[in-house]
Amino acid sequence: MALDLKPFDAKSAPKISDKDFEQLRDYIYNVCGIYFHSSKKYFLESRLARRMEMTGCKTHGDYYQYVRSAATGRTELSKLLDEITTNETCFFRNMPQLTALENKFLPEIVATKGKIGFKKLRIWSAGSSSGEEAYTMAMILLEKRATILKDWIIEIIGTDINETVLAQAKEGIYNSYSVRNTPDFYLKKYFKEEAAGRFVLSPEVKKLASFSQLNLYDDNKMLFMKSFDFIFCANVLIYFDTTSKSKVVQHFYNNLQPYGYFFVGQSESLHGVNDKFKTVHFPGGFTYNK
Amino acid sequence: MEKAAMMQAAQDMVESFVDLPTIPQVATRVIELLDRPGVELDEVADMILADQVLAARVIKMVNSPLYKPAHEIKSVKRALIYLGFRHIRELAFTCSFVDVFEGRDGIFDIKSFWEHSFGVGVVAKIIAQRVRYPDSEKAYLVGIVHDIGEVFLSYYRQDAFRSLLDSVQGRPYRLVDKEAEFLGTSHSEVGLCIARKWNFPPDYCEVIALHHAPEEAVLDPTLCAIANLADLFCSVRQLDYGGSSWVTFNLAEEKAWGILKGYSPALADLDVERFCYELDDRVPEIQEMVKSIFQGIGA
Repeated sequence: MALDLKPFDAKSAPKISDKDFEQLRDYIYNVCGIYFHSSKKYFLESRLARRMEMTGCKTHGDYYQYVRSAATGRTELSKLLDEITTNETCFFRNMPQLTALENKFLPEIVATKGKIGFKKLRIWSAGSSSGEEAYTMAMILLEKRATILKDWIIEIIGTDINETVLAQAKEGIYNSYSVRNTPDFYLKKYFKEEAAGRFVLSPEVKKLASFSQLNLYDDNKMLFMKSFDFIFCANVLIYFDTTSKSKVVQHFYNNLQPYGYFFVGQSESLHGVNDKFKTVHFPGGFTYNK
Repeated sequence: MEKAAMMQAAQDMVESFVDLPTIPQVATRVIELLDRPGVELDEVADMILADQVLAARVIKMVNSPLYKPAHEIKSVKRALIYLGFRHIRELAFTCSFVDVFEGRDGIFDIKSFWEHSFGVGVVAKIIAQRVRYPDSEKAYLVGIVHDIGEVFLSYYRQDAFRSLLDSVQGRPYRLVDKEAEFLGTSHSEVGLCIARKWNFPPDYCEVIALHHAPEEAVLDPTLCAIANLADLFCSVRQLDYGGSSWVTFNLAEEKAWGILKGYSPALADLDVERFCYELDDRVPEIQEMVKSIFQGIGA
């Protein structure tokens, strides 16, 4: 997703009451499956102010009615979600998830597959955007090359519907905002800062991931995305209506190995979308498995 | 490891603890009042008022974000009216209990112990309400005391505890299993010995002993299962002894989940994801409350 660094005067944002916040939070959760923590109240407040200005809503109550209306609601909700998730894409975005993957899920899968001599790991970043998630995985796995992943074949596939972001992913050049969460160790080892704020990803990392266009609604193509050990799909399903969401998640379920894991974004939920997946909890998050 | 051997090891260990604190008299009195039917509000009020430190603490706590009064409450009497009898009982117990562990910062500091314990108390109460367990205050109280063994184990056996934590760096583990391996007993057995010394009621003792094995409970398996699940959820939502434990769990495979679904089939529809996110929202409240009970009281 494109970066939007337009300055915004948060002071001018109308204050949202607890009641309005809870009402909107519940509505967004029920429709989109993403939860707004209380700590994000002020963030939501400032983002809402922009949308209220655009839609001519004077109060939070008016805006709530507006997003709920059948005619305009869904489109408006997507625009609000854009405001809320726009700046989130970056390397090492979800640390608790990555820690759990390194500590538990990766060693577990390596042990299971290693036992049967099947030394191949397949990872899918669905809705990869400009590639940060896929390349984060690539860097983490490269670090295991000398140990548990010695002689393993690693395939990381990033897909997105948007050709522009895929071109950026293939290019592998990022700005300082994208690398803001990257631990120094990885930044020094796998990026070259060619000019101030221009970070070029090392060929070693780029080689590990490939990117292609895919529409998650395309049932035929989805059938061919087979046998993944890990699937990541963060902040994508929130844009889908319930029926499409269920269908897409069923595809992910089918495309996952029996011992694989499916990860969604940090505040997302699949509750009521698919009753086959089981939740596996870890410090700071959870994932889904079969 | 053999259960009887672990129990024996715990008993020997607790006997060897030098300066094991005694439970404050006021806490013993509150415990006596816990299960006695027909206790009068005045009895509890008198008891609180007789102890200035306790009274000050009750007022501090009732004003913390967890209880959310609309206006500041300045007297014990107002606190009683605001909270009602059942809640004042739980508050009095908590406040009377706080000093027991003073200065017992071991490998785990006392603040993170209390954050975890209050967290488990609060979550246990929420789960109890969801499954319609008849005494949700009891669920809160057992949550507060479930890990008393941990304080003493991590304080009196610091060297062994440190080796334990060093050995698990970067690997998932359950503390209770690692303790058995490194110390020949665990915080469950040690906690039970202490709870008996302090004359805790039998169902409280059972939770302390079996909060990691609710399927073995006899007196109240539901209560043990509630404490177990609350403990698990807190361990993955920032109320985890400052990150010292590293737990993962598959909810569908947890015995406590099975026990509670048997007790209340509607639990199967629980939105577990949202439950976790709402718990995240309560973490600052719980941390704030722990801060409030230790702050500015000249105990």
